[in-house]
Amino acid sequence: MLVLLLLIPILGALIGAALPNPRSAKTWALVVSLVTLGVALVLVKQFDFHPAKAAMTTVDSVQLRFGASPGQEVAGPYNLSGLGCSFSLGVDSISLWLVLLTVFLTPLAIAASFDSIKERTKEYYAWMLALLACMLGVFIARDLLLFYVFFELTLIPMFFIIGIWGGPDRRRAAGKFFLFTFTGSVFTLAAIIYLGLHTGSFFISDVIHYAQTALAGPEHSTTRFLLALGLLAGFAVKVPLFPVHTWLPLAHTEAPTAGSVILAGVLLKLGTYGILRLAIPIGFVGQTGPVLTGLLQFVGLLCVVGILYGALVAWVQQDIKKLVAYSSVSHLGFCVLGLAALNDIGIQGSVLYMINHGLSTGALFLVIGMIYDRYHTRDINQLSGLAARMPIMAFFFVLFAMSSIGLPGLNGFTSEFLTIQGAFVSKTLGIKYGVFAALGVILGAVYMLLMTARVIWGPLKTPDLGHGHGDHAVPGDLNRREIAILVPIALAIVALGVMPNAILKTILPAVQLVQQPEKIKPSRGVAEAAAAARPSGPPLNGISRTTDNGPLTTDH
Amino acid sequence: MTGYLQILLPELILGSVACLLMLMGCSMKVATRKLVPVLALVALVVVFAMEMGRLQADSAAARTVTDSGGTFRAYHFAEYIKLLTAGVGAMLLLLAWPTNAEGTGNSALNVGQETGEFFGLMLLSLCGIFLVAGANDIILLFLGVELASIPTYIMVSISRPNPAAQEAGIKYFFLGAMSAALMLFGFSYLYGTTSSIKLDAISRVFHASAAGGSIPTLAIPAAAAMQPWVMLSIVMLIVGFAFKIAAVPLHVYAGDVYQGAATPVTAFLSFVPKTSGFVALIKILYAAGGPDWALPPQLGRLLWVLAVLTMTFGNVLGLLQYNIKRLLAYSSVAHSDYMLTGLATLVGAYNTLPSQDRGGVQTDALSGVIFYLTAYGIMNAATFGVLMLLPARDGRAGTSAETFEDIAGQGRRHVGLGLCMAVSCFSLIGMPLTVGFWGKVFLIKPAFAGGNNWLVVMIAVNAAISAAYYLRIVATMFLREPTTDAIAPQGQPKRPFPIALAIGISVLGSLLLGTILPLTQVFTTGANIAAKIDDGRVPPHADAR
Repeated sequence: MLVLLLLIPILGALIGAALPNPRSAKTWALVVSLVTLGVALVLVKQFDFHPAKAAMTTVDSVQLRFGASPGQEVAGPYNLSGLGCSFSLGVDSISLWLVLLTVFLTPLAIAASFDSIKERTKEYYAWMLALLACMLGVFIARDLLLFYVFFELTLIPMFFIIGIWGGPDRRRAAGKFFLFTFTGSVFTLAAIIYLGLHTGSFFISDVIHYAQTALAGPEHSTTRFLLALGLLAGFAVKVPLFPVHTWLPLAHTEAPTAGSVILAGVLLKLGTYGILRLAIPIGFVGQTGPVLTGLLQFVGLLCVVGILYGALVAWVQQDIKKLVAYSSVSHLGFCVLGLAALNDIGIQGSVLYMINHGLSTGALFLVIGMIYDRYHTRDINQLSGLAARMPIMAFFFVLFAMSSIGLPGLNGFTSEFLTIQGAFVSKTLGIKYGVFAALGVILGAVYMLLMTARVIWGPLKTPDLGHGHGDHAVPGDLNRREIAILVPIALAIVALGVMPNAILKTILPAVQLVQQPEKIKPSRGVAEAAAAARPSGPPLNGISRTTDNGPLTTDH
Repeated sequence: MTGYLQILLPELILGSVACLLMLMGCSMKVATRKLVPVLALVALVVVFAMEMGRLQADSAAARTVTDSGGTFRAYHFAEYIKLLTAGVGAMLLLLAWPTNAEGTGNSALNVGQETGEFFGLMLLSLCGIFLVAGANDIILLFLGVELASIPTYIMVSISRPNPAAQEAGIKYFFLGAMSAALMLFGFSYLYGTTSSIKLDAISRVFHASAAGGSIPTLAIPAAAAMQPWVMLSIVMLIVGFAFKIAAVPLHVYAGDVYQGAATPVTAFLSFVPKTSGFVALIKILYAAGGPDWALPPQLGRLLWVLAVLTMTFGNVLGLLQYNIKRLLAYSSVAHSDYMLTGLATLVGAYNTLPSQDRGGVQTDALSGVIFYLTAYGIMNAATFGVLMLLPARDGRAGTSAETFEDIAGQGRRHVGLGLCMAVSCFSLIGMPLTVGFWGKVFLIKPAFAGGNNWLVVMIAVNAAISAAYYLRIVATMFLREPTTDAIAPQGQPKRPFPIALAIGISVLGSLLLGTILPLTQVFTTGANIAAKIDDGRVPPHADAR
């Protein structure tokens, strides 16, 4: 099943690029993304959400609820000059929710591009589907090298989407996006190779086991520090944390609407997911609790600075899209702060934050795109009182803005509250971090409300669309397609606001496992793999595959 | 005598066909001259098949063959290099295919009346690498290196009828002569200190214990050390080879020469002299260090500094270029040095690692270098091929694209070519799913295992720098609007088949080797076997001297 999540979008992209008619390409892309969504929903149905207590006794089932269980691969391992890597997939409850977020947002983003993308449409939708496959790949990879491959490959589709269909400064934006992220992630690659080399396998569970056993003692703290730094280098740029965030406003502003939605909604989460899945269990948790607390506190400090700085910069933006982009810097600060707190509350809140931020910021970008399609401007000074002309749009805009601020009852509140609470009660961070982060909540309300007030209410003011278009009707409210795009997100926002426990309860066992990585069992084959992966050893199992290559089945 | 012929058969085929081609070039008949590239291609394919057979036989029997005089040896490492050279050589030959109706050279490569000479020289140059790979004798080694280089001086000059090409040829020739002099100087000291010209004998002199202590004064104690004279000679040789691989203090010719030569010749230059230099360097280091690569730490440091300097210089210079061929020149400088990091790890390992770990790391490092050389040969050809098929902007009729202005927006007009260029550039960056990614992985891995963490950091930094200029090529092709005056096709032939084939092989090779891991495994296994260099058994008759 999991393989289908990758195969369907990839084949869809190839077929879509070969379609003769550019018009059918968009319908095709929508269909393919909806089929992927369907597959993901089937997965959810098969997924076994244990109650937390029962799950903690059987670590295996939390770690990989279904998909490749440790020691059983989809294909491989291949012994490449002594490095044993494999094509293994699997999900736990954290990945499952992020997969859902991805397949939920992508069809909406594709549908939102129907009118705005007018040239080179076939290529556009092919890249969107390719991007979908890469993002899903990151979340379901259970082999470190495979994870990196997908992590890196997301750059190529996004590079073209920003660079070809973006705004006026698109080329610089695309280049900056690619180079920043690539530069960070080559160091991640170095760390990954180091880990794989010494583990003798690239299974994530094996690598974590190696880090927990072989790197446990204080004499290895330098190695651990460097590894954590290498892993963080790639993820921090992707998130982005404060000093390396400069690519983000430019990329968000210049990208086409759908590009911004995916970028904010999912791509940024690859960074936080990487920190959660790899950097914390490998670098920051030892046998007796947190290690490298200095680095962790530094990360926390960067988060707090990012929260406040992002909010202050967002305050003074004149471009709505840029404002939302800077708000992302601020919000992702909360997200990583929750991770750095290293307790149940913080990490749970952080995972919830990933999903909520994807929904609310993605939705805001969608609405902004709809405004832009009508008035061809995003300048706050030129837009005012739009509620008078577009009441439906105004409803959605305010709802999403409130969700982004963290109004109780909507989704943003729970996650923001939990991450800050996590920082407060954290052994590593403490009250100082919580207090300053909480200031960010106030600032968040300030910039978002000011912008909403100016754009939605007040006297009606729209840019002059006049010259030569005298007979053109005044742009109307949202049409049915646009409403159909926004309604699912609005429903999700309300639903998660009312019952966040739906997510929080299911991710708890996985979150606890992140903090107790010593319980993560290595794959059965690690000893043999390590032996066979000796540089001079014979190829492991020849080229044959150890298990059948068929679709994965559930264990339960 | 038959044994001698058998061992040398591939070299003999290449050499004699080269002579034949030159004679055919004198013919007045166009049809005969048209046959020249076909014959050259056939020769290379035959040699390729022959080497394939030998390599398979070799890996089964694990044997080495030396001719009766001990001058020439056939063994894993040599056979692998020969196979690689024949394969990539065939691809480069396809790139240089004359495509005008008259059969007198394609629009980029104006070989005019010199078709016969051009392809003859090409084969001779490839034959040079074969000799370098097989030489067991420092004189033959030197001759091989020069045979690989001297034809390229002429090829640069005759490749197009403009002053830039002449200037490039002259520059290349003079600097090449200087490096040859240094190399000879080094070889003479090597002979002077060991009183032998046979590589295996030299190796035995350095490791007297293996040879029964015949010349005890030169025997090397456990900690690797070297007499100053030997050190001097090795360093001079490294400097000489560094010119061939365009390592940094000796890279200055690269920009002008690459830009001046016609594009297919540039592609040839980026692979052939480099390979000969690397192979010769590896052989000399092996002779001096023996199977343990017991070389003094200073040499490791020298290679380290050379690698880091060259990577950084090459990439930073690449960033500043406006002409894409010049950019690719510096990129090729930088790629040499990713390979040099492998050699630095190899040489450094002896003095830093305990003996039980050493062997694996050294084999890994060398096989990483060999794999990278293969990967570079495969992925680099497409960039030049695409450049050749894209027309230059107006005003330079009959030439192909060279500058960023020329390729602006061309990826939208020629989607296939654009995608090929993109794949090739992403592979050169080292993106996943391409062979370039694995190349980097296999160089980083031994560097870590050898404790060379800073080298890894330098590779990472440089990969990031190089991404900037490769990405600029892709961005220019796809993200910019086509310049309007690039439309006139100027008699550009429509996708000549041989060039398209070469690009296709190159792009498919980069993609398949990056994604189909069982296939990659075949190549890494081959590189691993080649990296053992030798099984150490030298037939007794080789000692006769």
